[in-house]
Amino acid sequence: MEQHSQHFKENAARALADASAVAQRDILALFTPLMREAAVSEFGDFAALRDHVKKMRQHTLDNLDYYLARFELEATNNGNRIHYAETAEDMNSIVLDICQQHGARKVAKGKSMVTEETGLNDFLQRGGMEVLETDLGEYIVQQAGETPSHIVGPALHKTQQQIREQFLENHDLGERDLESIGDLVGEARTVLRDHFLEADVGIIGSNALIAENGYSMLVTNEGNGDLCANLPSVLIICTTLDRVLPRAEDATAIQRLLVRSATGQPQTCYTSFYSGPRRAQDADGPLETHIVLLDGQRTDILASDYSEMLRCIRCGSCLNHCPIFAATGGHSYGWVYPGPMGSVLTPLLTSLEASEALPNACTSCGRCEEVCPSAIPLPDMLRDLRHEQSVQKITPASWRNGLRLHAWIATRPRLYQALTGIGISLMHRLGGKKGGFSKLPLASGWTSKRDFPAPQGETFMRQYRRRSQSNER
Amino acid sequence: MNDDSRSRIMSKVRGSCAGNEAAVIDQAREALGSAPSAALPHTDTCIAFMTNVLRNQGTLDVAPDRSAAVKMIAQYVYQHYRSHRLVAGNDPRLAAMPWRDGGVLPRFGELEAGEQIALSYAQWGVAETGATVFLSGKHNPSRNNFLPEHHVVLVDADSLLPDLETLWQRVNASMAQGDRPRGINCVAGPSSTGDIEGQIVYGAHGPRAWHVVLLGEVSAEQSDTARALHAGE
Ligand code: SF4
Repeated sequence: MEQHSQHFKENAARALADASAVAQRDILALFTPLMREAAVSEFGDFAALRDHVKKMRQHTLDNLDYYLARFELEATNNGNRIHYAETAEDMNSIVLDICQQHGARKVAKGKSMVTEETGLNDFLQRGGMEVLETDLGEYIVQQAGETPSHIVGPALHKTQQQIREQFLENHDLGERDLESIGDLVGEARTVLRDHFLEADVGIIGSNALIAENGYSMLVTNEGNGDLCANLPSVLIICTTLDRVLPRAEDATAIQRLLVRSATGQPQTCYTSFYSGPRRAQDADGPLETHIVLLDGQRTDILASDYSEMLRCIRCGSCLNHCPIFAATGGHSYGWVYPGPMGSVLTPLLTSLEASEALPNACTSCGRCEEVCPSAIPLPDMLRDLRHEQSVQKITPASWRNGLRLHAWIATRPRLYQALTGIGISLMHRLGGKKGGFSKLPLASGWTSKRDFPAPQGETFMRQYRRRSQSNER
Repeated sequence: MNDDSRSRIMSKVRGSCAGNEAAVIDQAREALGSAPSAALPHTDTCIAFMTNVLRNQGTLDVAPDRSAAVKMIAQYVYQHYRSHRLVAGNDPRLAAMPWRDGGVLPRFGELEAGEQIALSYAQWGVAETGATVFLSGKHNPSRNNFLPEHHVVLVDADSLLPDLETLWQRVNASMAQGDRPRGINCVAGPSSTGDIEGQIVYGAHGPRAWHVVLLGEVSAEQSDTARALHAGE
């Protein structure tokens, strides 16, 4: 996917100017955490589950060579063809090759963020394929010529009315009302049904690859991924090598964490495990199955200080709890992965330069780490990325100099207290009567939205010293 | 397989790993133990399963015997389609049902486009998730679970399992006999989507309705408790 992360600030300003979209995001930011909270508290010992999965994932990553080799062996024995793709381009070419070898024209795709990352759809379309996303949210954004705004709900930025107009314009189905959301879902179902039945190739992602038996886990609600996996005669699973887990029961543990964290459900409607192609005795299923394992910088991340990021299970919970994501929306981040996980992953998967603003799009509130089912220290990673940007002089010079000045003063307590004392008492004298400032030099970003409160006149340290002295007396 | 890409990727992965012996790795993994499972709505597996089926937006019938099950299925099909036709997989257990008792006319095989109702016989039911589990194979076309408008599922009361760990113990035991099914489908509800404004709608791409017929010795008290637990939320 083309990257626009370098325009984060402009994108965010534009997103904030659209009042109705802001209101829609506010509602989602209120209600998605509540759904998660309810599911988590009903589970029982969620903290123990999270801790177990964290250790199990870390164990897997520490021994990834072993588990990857085992998965390859088992999956090959199950009849799959395994392909290794070092880069996004490699993955796209491998998939197009398979399609062309089968003389395919139509491809039905399940939801896969990995293929968003590689820009697979465009590539296949340029290669002459008709590619249709079948997850409802993905279908809506594909038809609109947009990109997903959320890794779990790709079209949550659109209103019912916008989707209605889009469907009326794009589906040649005559006069109809499409008044309810149910009508819209029904129409997409009708339109996509034929595509499922006619597709030559199905492409899906994977929530986990199980080393001990070579199965791939697919967790969905709509059933579209399973239709893609069962109806076309060729199935291609596009995923990354860090999805490998040791045992089936480990995939089960992930399933428990994932759905509660993602949508607040205790389980999704469909959880499927696919081993490979149709066997002689099977009534149905694809005749040929391929698993394309993308590296795409994962091995670099594995070797780096950010390897814990590979524990991410793409639940989207950190997005739902992030105040920056709620305010600016997913598109502002300018690439596939938005929110806190995106602000860590995007610089690692693309470059620190192109993603300069992302690690800075953080209030350090820590909610993301609190809710992350994989217990990934996202705020620490964001801080480390900011540090690296500063060391590599990617951070603008004005910022770096400002921070250097601040550090110089902050490490000299007497000077710091004297300067803040002067500043605070000056601000108190200037703004004390009104109680705040509607304009302040160097703080126009703040005062353009709200008043800056005037300080009470004395710094904490000065008050503390005065009170300790009077207590001593 | 492109051997060059494979070996480059593998060598990078190896470079970040400790390179422990298989026995050491297996031992470390065993030491991690098992994950906790979800709290069940009731200590009785059967009540917990029924409660979760209802919570998953399934509808539920309890049949003491096969004749009663056939009549209930007939009534369900007639109620929705004013017909007695349905498609059932080639499961010998389905073929052996006394279909005449309910006047049902099953066609055995794979569901074709345009056919509305499929009947499947679940291998197991899982109380923890309220899911019915199907192993694809000669008797069980996977498409029958995903293509129909209405999915009717028979599940034996004595095939109910408490949690997902028990499910995998069963699956692994059957794999040890050399049978590795192509697909293991856990179905826990009618298909749904929340992709438009987060509002849940049933009948996304898979079945619009999921009807479970629990076959076997289930007391009226057990069903009442499950319905009360579901209604009380
Ligand atoms: S970083 Fe954690 S919370 Fe965010 S998507 Fe990944 S697993 Fe979920």
